[in-house]
Amino acid sequence: MTDGKIVLDETIHQSTRLRIMTMLVSVPDGDRLTYGFIQETLGLTGGNLTTHLRKLEDAGHLAITKEVDGSKPRTWVQATPSGLSAFAEYLSNLHKALNWSPRT
Amino acid sequence: MQRGDVGTAELTAQESLQAIHTTMEEARSSMYVAGTATILLLWGVIASVGFISMYVTETLAPDFVADNPWFPAPLWGVLVTVGMVGSAIIGTRAGSTGASGDAIRSAGIRVFLFWLAVAAAALLVPAGAGMWVEGAGDEIGHVAIGIVALGHVLFGIMHRPAIAVVGLGLAAAFFVPSYLAGDAALIVSGVSMLAVAALGWAWIRRSGVL
Repeated sequence: MTDGKIVLDETIHQSTRLRIMTMLVSVPDGDRLTYGFIQETLGLTGGNLTTHLRKLEDAGHLAITKEVDGSKPRTWVQATPSGLSAFAEYLSNLHKALNWSPRT
Repeated sequence: MQRGDVGTAELTAQESLQAIHTTMEEARSSMYVAGTATILLLWGVIASVGFISMYVTETLAPDFVADNPWFPAPLWGVLVTVGMVGSAIIGTRAGSTGASGDAIRSAGIRVFLFWLAVAAAALLVPAGAGMWVEGAGDEIGHVAIGIVALGHVLFGIMHRPAIAVVGLGLAAAFFVPSYLAGDAALIVSGVSMLAVAALGWAWIRRSGVL
């Protein structure tokens, strides 16, 4: 909170990135989701998802790893510890925003 | 600053919380329905093979049927076993292509137990109603298919409405011919259930179920 104004993490506070981060934090710590699973669940195009994943990765909120399972390449996405902390803080600030009312 | 104004554009705090809640539901639901479309198609094929086999046997070998009125029991026993094992394999593989870790394992176990309970009910409810007697094969089939269709409806209500609709379609594909198709009921039911399962598979895949 700055000067009485609640400031949210702008990287997370965007519709698609918020939904991506929510998916990643909704599974137990250490679990990973595949690129395809996120794409189908959120109904995103590949280009759109890649763009938002890159922004979240640049912010250090998630880690992307590519592996080969048999002959199939698979891209795994996982929230980083700092991403989990950032989301927890974001959620806390959201609740503060909802409870905040101006003093008269 | 107004209540819910969070200092950055695009989403209000209320909208953000709503998006979080909705996405958590979607993520959980996607794990539960992993592989559902393929499993549904598998059971359509199994039902079709079962009913068509019964029809062919009753038509081509009436003496065998007269001497062995319980012949559908081992047939369905084998088919249902294949279906349960196949469903477990498909569900496990589908889940592992979407997620790794405790969440997907827990979802897979819960879904398996749900359908195991449905399969058990399909066997035990007719038994509890005293229907496991000679000559009641048709009635047992009616109750069992009805319970399996109910399982689809309940699972669909919880996770994807499309699955509930397919469940109703499977029930209609079985019950309508059984009352209207006379001697050809078994083969018409078998073909109809396969057609509904195939259409359901395509529809559910299009709706985004993995």
